[in-house]
Amino acid sequence: MTRSEQGRHRERHDPHWVEWLTGIVSALLVAGLLGWIGWEAFTREATPPDLTIAVLTTEKTGNGYRVAFDIHNAATTTAASVTVIGRLMDGDRVIEENHIVFDYVAAESKSTGAILFRNEPAGRRVDIRAAGYTDP
Amino acid sequence: MAQDAVNADGDRPADGDKDEFNRFVTGLGRGVGGALFLALPMLMTMEMWYLGFYMARERLLLLLLLNIPLLILLAHRIGFEETFTWREAVRDAVIAYGIGIMTSLVVLTALGLLRGGMPASELVGKVALQSVPASIGAMLGRSQLGHDDQDGDDTKETRYHGELLMMAAGALFLSLNIAPTDEMIVLAYRMTIWHALIVAVLSIALMHGFVYAVSFIGGHELSPETPWWHAFVRFTLPGYVIALSISIFTLWIFERLGDSSALEIMLSVIVLGFPAALGAAAARLIL
Repeated sequence: MTRSEQGRHRERHDPHWVEWLTGIVSALLVAGLLGWIGWEAFTREATPPDLTIAVLTTEKTGNGYRVAFDIHNAATTTAASVTVIGRLMDGDRVIEENHIVFDYVAAESKSTGAILFRNEPAGRRVDIRAAGYTDP
Repeated sequence: MAQDAVNADGDRPADGDKDEFNRFVTGLGRGVGGALFLALPMLMTMEMWYLGFYMARERLLLLLLLNIPLLILLAHRIGFEETFTWREAVRDAVIAYGIGIMTSLVVLTALGLLRGGMPASELVGKVALQSVPASIGAMLGRSQLGHDDQDGDDTKETRYHGELLMMAAGALFLSLNIAPTDEMIVLAYRMTIWHALIVAVLSIALMHGFVYAVSFIGGHELSPETPWWHAFVRFTLPGYVIALSISIFTLWIFERLGDSSALEIMLSVIVLGFPAALGAAAARLIL
């Protein structure tokens, strides 16, 4: 408990045991957090962004086709302004090319997005790749 | 003044009613002032407008619902008027929520952010989201802007859970300010783990320092025989855990966590935990 008087508060000298229990649990949580972060700080090496793309679904939309994909950054550094280029290929010929930009793909994380094509992707090759990024 | 009005009520009912009405209107005015003063940064933040239409509706609903008990508990503590019963606290909370909604509606309309052509869900979403910080601002308006004569000479005891709740309210208010901004995410991405460690330690140190070491009005002190680490373990560390939990909650509400790895999430939480911890400390001083 805290006693308030004249705008000042004074902490009780003989607190309830719950206060100590909460305090000790919190101390363990904070120590665990700092310990974990500290351990990561010592053991984790900074690697440049390593981006891989996996196509999830291809669906028909009102005015074309949507190819949804996720982009995974396996490295320990975040990539910013990640440009992804999607090509619809028929053999060696490029039928359609679109690109999108992800603001961020966080370290060891994935983001999802989609590329919209006007032509039918079925029976053709869909080639989606990351074209570049900046450091945040 | 407030106390006189209640005392005089029996003797001079007409004057008492008038005083009470004036006092109530003054309370409303302070509420609007508080809502404007504290929620304007959010009303004028671009990310908050966008969140109003793209954030998941179930999360928005959860935020709106959780705001109700928070307001009631704040009302019980400070209120527009001295609230002694829970019924009055509920009434004050409803009024604060109403002021929050009205203030958001008026300001957003005045700034041209609400237009006729917008779908209803966008209009409602924008106002609803802004009404949360605005209503907390309306509630705090009385305690921060008002100067009641009898403030300061009353002796009251705050239960331990009340103290923790005040910290949660303060942390929530500041993290609502900061969690929606893109800067939060950019900071977490640019920081190394070492930076995060420093920010975490700094947050805890400042939190303890503000409440115990620096002699602000409303600051806390310890009995001479109590060692400093007693308060550190009983109040500051639980306060920091609360600040971090509130940070996780607001980041989740605003869909800032995404598919990030645990460590990336933790970095964002520590960054947001910094203002949240200061908010928690400030709440202990102010409320």
